Amino acid sequence: MHSTTHLKEVPDDKIIWQRFLAGEVEAFDHLMTLHFRTLFRYGSKFSRDKEFVKDNIQDLFLILWERRQNLSHDIAVKPYLMASLRRLMHRSAMSKPLLSDNSVEEINGNFEIEFSVEEEYIENESSLVVTQKLKKLLDELPLRQKEVVYLKYFQEMDRSQISEVMNISPQTVSNLLQIAIKQLKKHWKSELFIFFLIHFII
Amino acid sequence: MTWKHMNDYKHYGIEDLVWDTFFRQWVLSPTRETDNKWKEWLSENPEMAEKINQSRQIVLSLQVKELEISNLEIAEIVKETISRTKPLLGDNTSKGGFEIIPFYRKFWFKIAASFTLIILFGWLAKSGFNRNNQLSNIQKEIVTEEQEKFTEKINSTSASILIVLKDGSKITLAPLSTIRYPENFANKKREVYLTGEAFFDISKDPNRPFFVYANELVTKVLGTSFRIKAYKTSKEITVEVKTGRVSVFAQSDPDIKEKTANHELEGIVLSPNQKIIYARDQVRMVKTLVEKPEIIIPKAQIPQFIFEDVPVTDVFDSIAKTYGIDILYDEELLEGCPLTAILDNQTLHEKLTIICKAIEANYEILDGQIVVHGKGCRN
Repeated sequence: MHSTTHLKEVPDDKIIWQRFLAGEVEAFDHLMTLHFRTLFRYGSKFSRDKEFVKDNIQDLFLILWERRQNLSHDIAVKPYLMASLRRLMHRSAMSKPLLSDNSVEEINGNFEIEFSVEEEYIENESSLVVTQKLKKLLDELPLRQKEVVYLKYFQEMDRSQISEVMNISPQTVSNLLQIAIKQLKKHWKSELFIFFLIHFII
Repeated sequence: MTWKHMNDYKHYGIEDLVWDTFFRQWVLSPTRETDNKWKEWLSENPEMAEKINQSRQIVLSLQVKELEISNLEIAEIVKETISRTKPLLGDNTSKGGFEIIPFYRKFWFKIAASFTLIILFGWLAKSGFNRNNQLSNIQKEIVTEEQEKFTEKINSTSASILIVLKDGSKITLAPLSTIRYPENFANKKREVYLTGEAFFDISKDPNRPFFVYANELVTKVLGTSFRIKAYKTSKEITVEVKTGRVSVFAQSDPDIKEKTANHELEGIVLSPNQKIIYARDQVRMVKTLVEKPEIIIPKAQIPQFIFEDVPVTDVFDSIAKTYGIDILYDEELLEGCPLTAILDNQTLHEKLTIICKAIEANYEILDGQIVVHGKGCRN
C-alpha cells in the first residue's frame, strides 16, 4: 500500500537511467533536469557555497556519463545519485584547499539544515507553540540523526535507500532513527506537559 | 502498513501521529484512497478528531527551508553540461575524455588526477595481492584447467531466466546477470560462478556440497534454496536464505581451503529468513533478517494466530517456530503480560509491532535474531 505515486515513479526513473546508460543524450537531459533540484538542495546541506554545489552536480553527471558502460542498470536512481553526490562533494572538498583558500571544514562532517514553522498552516496558538518546540528539538539533534530524519520524513526515503545515501548499514539507519524519534517524543512529552501545566496554573 | 491496522491509531498520541509515515503521507500528498480511508476512520473515531487536526497542522507547518533554484537556471546548467559531453561521444576508452575539458575548472582536473592515482593504487595493490592470495589462484586454476567444459549464460533479456543444471538444481538468473558452470560437476563438489543476482534451488547431495562464488563471497550449501545479489558495481553482496541452511565466507578467508574441503557447514551459517550483508569496502559481514520473513512450516501446521489472554511469551514462541527465527526476551519480565489479539494476516514485522505496542515493549533485529525489550507488566 506504500503510496501509489511511489510505485509509478520508480520504473520511469529506471527507464530513463537505462537509456542514459545506453548513451542517449536526450535521457541525459531528462535525468539531470529531473533530479537537479533535489540534488542541489541535498548538496547545499554540506556546503554553503552554491556554485560549488552546482559544479559538483555537473561533474557528477559528467563522471556518470563517462563511466556509463560500467554502471549497474538495476539501481534506485535517486538514492544512488544522492549518495554519489555526497561522496563526490567530500572528495572535492578535500582537494579544494590546494587550489583555493575557501574553508573546507564546513563541508566535512557537516549537515546544515534549517527547519521552519510555516504559520499559514497553524490554526491556533497551542499548535504554534507545540510546533515551535518541535522545531527547536529538531535543531538540537546531532548531525547524523538530523540527516536520517531529513531523508526519512522530508525526502520520504526508506531504510535501505537511506543506508545507501549515507553509506551506513540499514541497521544503523534504524538505530539512528529510533534514537532520534525517541528523543523527539520524550522531550516533546515533557515540554508539552510543562506547557499545559503553565496554562493550568495561569 | 495495511488498512487493517487503522485500529492501531486509536491509541496514538500527537507525537506518534506526527512521525507516522502513513499519516504524513495522507497529510502531505493525499490520494483519494488514503483520504477516504482516514475520513471513514475519523467518523468511526470522532474522539480522535482534535488530535488528528493538531497533528495535521504540525506536519504541514513544520518544513525544511530549502534553497530555491529556478527551472530556467536548471535548464541552462543542464544544457551547458551536455555541451561538455559532446567531445566525448563515440569515445569509449574513457581516458582521453578528462583532458579535453579545459583546465579552468580546477577541481575537475583534480578529480581526474585523483582517479588516475586511485586506479594506479588499485592496480598496484591488486598485483601485489594476487601473488599472496592463494584463493584467487585456486579459482583461476579451476577455471583454466577445465575451461573448455564451462558453460556461461548471460541473461541479456529483461526477464529472469530459468536454468536447470544436470544435478537437478535450478537457478533463476535475474536480468543483466551472468552464471558460469561446468558441464559436468566434479566428483567432490559442485561449483558455479555468479555475477549479478540469482535465486538458487539446489538439489540435495550431502556428499557433494554446492558452492557459489560471487565477487568476494563464497556460499556453501548442501541442499537448499537462497538468493544471492552480487552486482559488480554494488557496494554490497547479499545472501538471503529461503529454505535449509547455507554457510557463507569471504574469499579472503585464510582457512578457505579447509572450509571448502570438508562436508560440514562452517563460516557464518544462515538459516531460513536470515540474510547476510557483506560490505565490500569494509570487508565486513552483518547478519540480519530478510526484509519480509516468510512462514517456513507446512501450511497444515501453521497455528492460528488468534490469542485470547495468552501469555505473550507463548505468542513469541509460536511465532518463532512458524518463521524459524529466534526471538529472545526476558522470560521473567514478560511472563506476566497477557495478550489478546488476532494476528492472522500480518507480516512478521507487523505482528511484532502490534504485540510490542500492546505490552509497551520494542524489538530490534540483532545478528539475525529478534530481541524484545520491555519493562514487563507487573505494576
